Amino acid sequence: MISWPVARAAAREKLRSPGIRVVGACFVAAAALGGRAGAVSETFGGFGIAFLLVLTLALGAGLLSDELDSGHAQLVLLRPITRAAWLGGRLVGAGIALAALTAGAWAAAAVASLGSGHALSLSALAILPLAVLWGFAWLSVLAALGVILPSWTNAGALILGAIAWATLRGTLPGVLGHPEWGAAAAELSKYLGPQDPFALAEGRRALGPALYDLCWVFFAWLVAVLLFNRRELARRRA
Amino acid sequence: MTGAPAALEATGLRKIYRGRGGGRVVAVDGLTFAVRPGEVVGLLGPNGAGKTTAMQLALRLLEPDAGEVRLFGRDPELLEVRRRIGYAPDAPLFPRRLTGLQILALHAELLGFRRAAARDRAERFAEQAGFAEPARRPAGTYSRGQAQRLGLALALIGDPDLLLLDEPTAGLDPAGVAAMRELLVSLRGRGAAVLLNSHLLSEVERVCDRVLFIKEGRLLRTHDVRAGGTRVEVRLANAAQVSARLVEEIPGGVLDGDRLRVPVASEEAVPALVRRMVEAGAEVLEVRLGGAELEQLYLQIVEGRA
Repeated sequence: MISWPVARAAAREKLRSPGIRVVGACFVAAAALGGRAGAVSETFGGFGIAFLLVLTLALGAGLLSDELDSGHAQLVLLRPITRAAWLGGRLVGAGIALAALTAGAWAAAAVASLGSGHALSLSALAILPLAVLWGFAWLSVLAALGVILPSWTNAGALILGAIAWATLRGTLPGVLGHPEWGAAAAELSKYLGPQDPFALAEGRRALGPALYDLCWVFFAWLVAVLLFNRRELARRRA
Repeated sequence: MTGAPAALEATGLRKIYRGRGGGRVVAVDGLTFAVRPGEVVGLLGPNGAGKTTAMQLALRLLEPDAGEVRLFGRDPELLEVRRRIGYAPDAPLFPRRLTGLQILALHAELLGFRRAAARDRAERFAEQAGFAEPARRPAGTYSRGQAQRLGLALALIGDPDLLLLDEPTAGLDPAGVAAMRELLVSLRGRGAAVLLNSHLLSEVERVCDRVLFIKEGRLLRTHDVRAGGTRVEVRLANAAQVSARLVEEIPGGVLDGDRLRVPVASEEAVPALVRRMVEAGAEVLEVRLGGAELEQLYLQIVEGRA
């Protein structure tokens, strides 16, 4: 399911990208500032969460097309490796890069917090894997979109989709004269993508979002593999 | 011939490219050929003849509309079959931010080598391909020739039993071309099968056992390079003056303008031949192994010139 050599190569490649380094540095700086205020558990709140999102989008943009467009993917897929393992490797590689930068941000927040005389709480520790899980779930969505969309447009499509849905959700119930649909639309929103799992770190026993995100990782990967197989067969027959 | 299956066996391959506007181009049309272990086979033909498509069909990078390909008697898509093949595409591109060594190590690991062994192998093959120093830099900084060398090293890193090389000398400097020639000879020596697509006729003639002439996707003719032994082409400063004597002294020699073409049993016979020509009064300007036979054949078969 996962080719680890591909994953390591993908992680190296992503971590060497100047754009990702800049976003990562901003993320670390924002987390350190949050930590100085004493709230490590807030590392991924406010600016922190914004940078986590941007980082996830940057890592997921062109996740597959970088390799497919250059033709290197064809050389790799001539090796004894399945398409599913290659795709899993690319996804996990981006996930490793995400985890490394998120851990850096978390560590910066923790050091800044301890330096300001605050203690580290359990919730502060729990927030790191939850943030990585959330970002990874979105990466898997970007990977699935990346199978059918060229270059970085998978990230663009995701942003556009989110904006379009938020606009519809905010305006359509009113326009149609059914303001009560707003609540239903808000409820539906939770299921249209990975859910925010941070409630778990806040001491609430809300395992649901984290489990839901795990499902997203698997199903998005599965959809990506199915689409990729179809795409490859179509390309070969063209 | 042994009972072992051919390394590559293509039967009745046909491939049609379909354009978005409904246009169709027949790239390969009923192509049948085989490459046996220990054999170097060249593909020759004009641009657009279908040589690259034929290679991609052989590797199942493209799906044929008709026909079948077997590698070592088996389906090319099987993972254990893929472990035995190497492919160097024309003008390869690589991940820009990874170094050549990292790319080589990645492919070695995919072939089943452990991480440390893969790194060692990457170093060794980068050295062999003559780009040990650039291999430490990101691939995005490579020149065409360096990328070509990396592509070759990647094709070779698994010690393949079947190697498909698409224009491997394009972009290579003369030293690279010579190294490539030695490499092909050594691969043949260890029993590997090679399918070579190249426009360098002299190289093809020197390293290939057989040549397939292809045009418009069809196999026009198979030429057995070794059947007639080696040929030597000697350019003379005074061909007109010594022509009668040379034809008398050198059996089988054919004079064409200022060039005398002579079949020889092997390369070792060339110095003695040149000595005899000099003794017969010839002023030798240049000696070339292979000569222009393949070029003439190419023009005759592919271009239809007499």
